[in-house]
Amino acid sequence: MSQRNANRFWSTLAYLVILGVVVFSVGPILWTIITSLKPEQDIVTSELQYLPRNITLDNYVAIWNRSGYPRLIGNSTIVTVITLVICMLVGTLAAYGFSRYQFRGRTQLLLVYLVIRMFPVVLMIVPLWIMMRGFGLLNTHFGLALAYTTFLLPICIWMMKGFFDAIPPELEDAARIDGCTRLSALFRVVMPLARGGLVATAVFIGIAAWNEYLFALMFTNSQNSQTWPVGLALMVGEFQLPWGALSAGGVISVIPVIILFGIVQQSLVRGLTAGAVKG
Amino acid sequence: MSFPESTISDPIPTRRFSLNPFTFLGQISEGRYWAYYLIIPSLLLVALVILYPVISGIGLSFQEMRLTRPAKNGFIGLQHYQDLLTDQIFRTAVLNTLEWVVVGVVSQFLVGLITALALNKGGIVMKAAGVIVLLPWILPSVVAGNIWALMLDSRLGVINDLFVKIGLLDQYKAWFADPNTALPATMLISLWRGFPFFTLLLLAGLQAIDDDLYEASAVDGANRWSQFWHITLPLLRPVIVATVVLRVIGLVNSPDLLLLLTNGGPGYATQVLSLYAFQKAYSDFDFGYSGAISVVMFLILMVFTVIYVRVSRVAQE
Repeated sequence: MSQRNANRFWSTLAYLVILGVVVFSVGPILWTIITSLKPEQDIVTSELQYLPRNITLDNYVAIWNRSGYPRLIGNSTIVTVITLVICMLVGTLAAYGFSRYQFRGRTQLLLVYLVIRMFPVVLMIVPLWIMMRGFGLLNTHFGLALAYTTFLLPICIWMMKGFFDAIPPELEDAARIDGCTRLSALFRVVMPLARGGLVATAVFIGIAAWNEYLFALMFTNSQNSQTWPVGLALMVGEFQLPWGALSAGGVISVIPVIILFGIVQQSLVRGLTAGAVKG
Repeated sequence: MSFPESTISDPIPTRRFSLNPFTFLGQISEGRYWAYYLIIPSLLLVALVILYPVISGIGLSFQEMRLTRPAKNGFIGLQHYQDLLTDQIFRTAVLNTLEWVVVGVVSQFLVGLITALALNKGGIVMKAAGVIVLLPWILPSVVAGNIWALMLDSRLGVINDLFVKIGLLDQYKAWFADPNTALPATMLISLWRGFPFFTLLLLAGLQAIDDDLYEASAVDGANRWSQFWHITLPLLRPVIVATVVLRVIGLVNSPDLLLLLTNGGPGYATQVLSLYAFQKAYSDFDFGYSGAISVVMFLILMVFTVIYVRVSRVAQE
């Protein structure tokens, strides 16, 4: 086999592999979208329709108007925003501290923030539940957001630290020579440069909070605080929800996730992979 | 306590603190404890929502703690752990967890690596594909569960339909109702959601490898296969170790998918440790026993991580 033939062989193989993987990844998602657009009688049929004969938005109308779905989406939005405020505020400051300063216990602390990911969620969920009940935070947006910081704050700190590390400290030194305090150097010089990383981290944290199921199931049990994943999962049991409406509910909730991910994916991928590649 | 050494020179000589809060904070930032002020909020939060619950959770495992009959609550020592030894469900859950994690990690790693190798070819098509294959990874577990429950449905499932059409099956199958296929079916969904994580990080690792290495070895007559074994794999090793550890932790700790799809059934065919612990807490309000299961799970994870990292370090040398 000549060199050129070999190259062509490997190239073809690579494209075939990717074709297969893309079908595997996207096929199920497309199938859900198709199902959400079919009328109920075309879903429950003896002859499966691969291309829908009739397209309708009835399922979307049904899920939105029935079963308080807007309320669930609203709750999820509030919880996500509170989670973002807590994580980004506390996490960004800490990440900046870790990135710029040497202090006693720095390495150990960073390691602790990494090891925390190993703690089983189920081990923390019960004591957190007892604690929240004590403070009256069960069934509140704030309580759930606080619970989300258990797994999102450490990730936030590690990601933001990576973005700060990439900004040369000489820029702050220059600003300080011009009379800036450290604080104003942080806000006037570093933050604008870290904007891409800040947005990417926020999107990652936001998606995780928006998607979360287990904590939300444990910490909420009323319409006033339930998030959409819990609502959707419970609807399956309660209302014997038809597949069409269920698919529509999924599609509605996932659209913002996919759009935001699409917008920031480049810097997000950089932030997620920076730590791993450096070792 | 030693003073924080900033990268910057000594603080500006003391002046009177301003009453304007912004100026005041600015002056604080010139003080010697600035680095600590940055870190402390995160420390307090971590202590409150992580360290306290973990310690308290370990404590709970030595107590009888049931909300349903509070009269009997109290310290009972190792009783829960003793009960675990004879608990048949716990034994099944340990074995299932092992299968769920080993098969899960190996399959996700392999698909992730092959995908990353193909994507590493570069070009606009591969770049677009690299974003598309990440989609299952960012979907919520609830939606992923629904998607596959529909596809594998015993009456309307498209997978059943396809399998019957190409002759793999005689008739539609209830995948989640058969103890032999329930766990493999959930592992397929786990593969779908999990392989992009490996692809993402392994691809970044591949892109960090210097092309000169491949060119030099090609000059020396190395073929692709030996390049893969002698250059690619050794240089990827740190990324592989890190991703495998993270993925194992993820698989052991999160019962989401199984909770949504099978709730451990049929029988106990898909019961795993994290799900068992969650059910004990969420359905039975048996917080003490749930804590004991979690502690055992945590210990298994710790032992695995330490051994795995050690062994892979030794293998490197």
